[in-house]
Amino acid sequence: MSALISVEDFAVAYRLGETSMQAVDGVDFSLPQGVMLGLVGESGCGKSTLARALMGVLPGNARITRGKVRLGGEDLTALLPAQRRQRLWRDISFVPQSAMNALDPVYRLRDQMREVLCRRGGLARRDADERAAELFTAVGLDPARLMDFPHQFSGGMRQRAAIAMALALRPKLVIADEPVTALDVIVQRQVLDTIRGLSRELGLSAIVVTHDISVVAYLCSMVAVMYAGQIVEFGPTDTVMREPAHPYTMGLMNASPDLERADAELVPIDGSPPSLMQPPAGCRFAARCPFAQQRCSQARPPMTEIAPGYRAACLRSGEAATLRGEAKEAATWRR
Amino acid sequence: MVEPIAIPLTAGEGGSRKPRKLAALLAQLRDPYALTGVTIYLGFLIVAICADALAPYGPTDILFTDDGQLAASLPPSAAHLLGTTNLGRDVFSQLVLGSRPSLFVGLTAAIAVAALGTIAGLVSGYLGGLADRVLMRIADVILGLPFLPFVIVTIALTGPSLTHIVLAVALLLWPNAARVIRSQVLTLSQRQFVEAARVTGASPWRIIFVHIAPNVLPLSFLYGTIAVGWAILTQASVSFLGFGDTDVISWGTMLQDAYASQALDRGQYAWFVPPGLCIVLVVLAGFFISRGYEELLFPKLRDDR
Amino acid sequence: MSFIARRFLHTLFVMWAIATLIFLMFRLMPGDPSTAYIDPNFTGEQRQLVLQQFGLDKPLSEQYLIFLGNLARGEFGLSFRYRQPVLGLVLSVLPNTLLLTMTALFAAYAFGGVFGALLAWKRGSAFETAAIPVVLTTRATPDFWLGMLLLAVFAFGLGWLPSGGANVAGASYSSEWSRIFSGDFLRHLALPVLTLAIFLQGLPTLLMRSNMLEVMREEFVTMARMKGLSERSIMLRHAARNALLPLVTAFAITFGQLIGNNVVVETVFSWPGLGRMLVDAVANSDYPLAQGAFLVIAFVLVLMNFVADLVYGLLDPRVAHAHG
Repeated sequence: MSALISVEDFAVAYRLGETSMQAVDGVDFSLPQGVMLGLVGESGCGKSTLARALMGVLPGNARITRGKVRLGGEDLTALLPAQRRQRLWRDISFVPQSAMNALDPVYRLRDQMREVLCRRGGLARRDADERAAELFTAVGLDPARLMDFPHQFSGGMRQRAAIAMALALRPKLVIADEPVTALDVIVQRQVLDTIRGLSRELGLSAIVVTHDISVVAYLCSMVAVMYAGQIVEFGPTDTVMREPAHPYTMGLMNASPDLERADAELVPIDGSPPSLMQPPAGCRFAARCPFAQQRCSQARPPMTEIAPGYRAACLRSGEAATLRGEAKEAATWRR
Repeated sequence: MVEPIAIPLTAGEGGSRKPRKLAALLAQLRDPYALTGVTIYLGFLIVAICADALAPYGPTDILFTDDGQLAASLPPSAAHLLGTTNLGRDVFSQLVLGSRPSLFVGLTAAIAVAALGTIAGLVSGYLGGLADRVLMRIADVILGLPFLPFVIVTIALTGPSLTHIVLAVALLLWPNAARVIRSQVLTLSQRQFVEAARVTGASPWRIIFVHIAPNVLPLSFLYGTIAVGWAILTQASVSFLGFGDTDVISWGTMLQDAYASQALDRGQYAWFVPPGLCIVLVVLAGFFISRGYEELLFPKLRDDR
Repeated sequence: MSFIARRFLHTLFVMWAIATLIFLMFRLMPGDPSTAYIDPNFTGEQRQLVLQQFGLDKPLSEQYLIFLGNLARGEFGLSFRYRQPVLGLVLSVLPNTLLLTMTALFAAYAFGGVFGALLAWKRGSAFETAAIPVVLTTRATPDFWLGMLLLAVFAFGLGWLPSGGANVAGASYSSEWSRIFSGDFLRHLALPVLTLAIFLQGLPTLLMRSNMLEVMREEFVTMARMKGLSERSIMLRHAARNALLPLVTAFAITFGQLIGNNVVVETVFSWPGLGRMLVDAVANSDYPLAQGAFLVIAFVLVLMNFVADLVYGLLDPRVAHAHG
């Protein structure tokens, strides 16, 4: 199966004054078409940076330091800026975290949709307006609201509008950065339903960045777990969540409230992620890992294949079944 | 009367407040704007203090040439660095001695504006209620007054002394400072250290002056620096219009004198260009200082590159 | 609607307060209160007229109410020097001041808006680093001194432009309009406008620059980049459009302030405007004229502040559509 997008040894660094910080340090994965990938991890793990770096639009002090990104066979990182700009929104588009600030407040939605559809999509005005109405309907918005300004929309509606805009040019891949985080729970569910519906209808390929595992469980068939700038586990969502192979993922599953096991104890992972300005040499999770051994701190554990399409970056991934059992005990995590 | 217990203060508000802030102020001189501004201020301060020593003649001395002629409208020379006025007065001496009234006006106005604005802002912001409403209404009215015309009308009614000018300027400028300080106080009042102080029974005045005021001082300082420029410009403008104190030679009166004596027509640039330049420099120094210290005063404004 | 109504009431309040302040200031002058309105050289009829109009023989509180009533009708009394109603005198010079102010402001803001946007775009370049101190210097320059310099160079030195006034002495025109659009008037307007424009452009330049920099950090600008729009398109359609809003407000407010602060420039160029009328009136102790000129200036200022609020409300959709 040819991959829609493949990322090879990708790294992004921020320059802060004299020092620099590796926000993303050697990420590899590939995705086939029609798959929604969840990119999950705690704040500061680099997932948002990775998402924006894949788009190719980063803050002024950030740089892609190495690696390749291939989309539909084409190496995006090798393109000149002007060529790269051509691909934007047509091949790969973005849904921001909080559309509150992501929509220009002085233009009506209709004009913002026109801007994308006409200037980037080459449509004539009338065709653009038709398509905009279609898109709005598809995301569950009344097309009459195209005449409104962003501030007249509620939070959930703004997110839907952002989704509509992202789908406007029928991109190959959509990247969503915390698409529902800024919404309250009930609205979250509604928007998630909309996204799920669209992904089934359109066979959407997407990367959904989030810190909320339940969103991943709801939307995505594949998941990549990120920690300290690296992917530590990658595979089908079901498998990763039920039978995690990496201690960090095991800890994450423990730390998340589960309505079914309402009286189960929430066990947080002690400590905090390492500084990305001076990252440790070996496994980055070793300092907090209850199963760490000497060899873990010596070299970065490679991604080991546990089953086809399912990998984890842990030297002890072979013993995953046993470790999982121990990880379920709260005592394991308290040192 | 319960003595408030020592409240753990957040970083930067500890007991060793003063030395730390002074060190920070000095360190900021690395910024070219701050350095230039402070240097200019210091330069003028020195000139003003040593004016008597620097000026070869008195500002109103009428001078004569060796052969008994009035030393009128002479071009710049060794004896008269900037030439003489049409009445035989040495321009350079006037310039040097003119720095005194200008700096006096600038400094006193700055202190007055900073003081009035800060007190009003503190009272308004912390006490709220009637005091706040009344003060802000007064501020609104004052901000509706046209600046220069009001100063002119006031001077006309009260007399043209420098003090009156300073008072008029201070009266017109304090609302700007007060408003900004008030909103800063409102934000601060909700911070935890103020809550903590309140809970331990500290009186409102103690809270205002011991806890809130120090955090508001950077703003007072900023508006003080702005006021310096405005005050000097206003005093110069008022003098130029002929409403200044005629006994005192200031840069403004020099300009008025030059204008009235047709110095423009005669192209006596050495007469009217230097006083204007001095005003430009002093006002500019004020801008530079507030720009240079902006980072120190308001760290959020730092750019991300 | 209530936003506009509230601002309007506020405006009325400020106008009333200023009028009261002036009333008190002029009444608190030493001497007979009637000296504020009656000149010793008035004829008997003039004296009677003013006495009646302002109720100068009545108690102070009544005088105050009469004063307010007169104000509403534009009755400011008789000028000592010109023996004519103050309002007429003030209105005759108002067009000159308005034209000077409007032209200078437009020039300054048009330039400043463009230059400020340019500085923001070229952020960090040598050009920008050098330009900022220059702009600050123009703001630090006393406008009247700048006027003197320009006069000395262009009018007296090179003789290109006239040295004062609004029209050549003795010229007559068939109407106000033809006077304003005559080449003569425009030549006289050139230097004062240039002086003011140089002095004023500093604010819009720096304001536009800082607004642009702020707007460029907004999420929707990043999104515009992600949409693959051209940099130029982003700068103009998104960044500048959003950054302009405060400039429009600043324009209106500066207009109000300028009407009064133009005093010095009008004096340097002997421009027959409202500011100069005020100065002359004060210098000649022509109290009714001084009061009238001051109050008109103040009212224009307060009115322009209100207009600024209105315009901002109209231009920013967030305020305009506040009620859905």
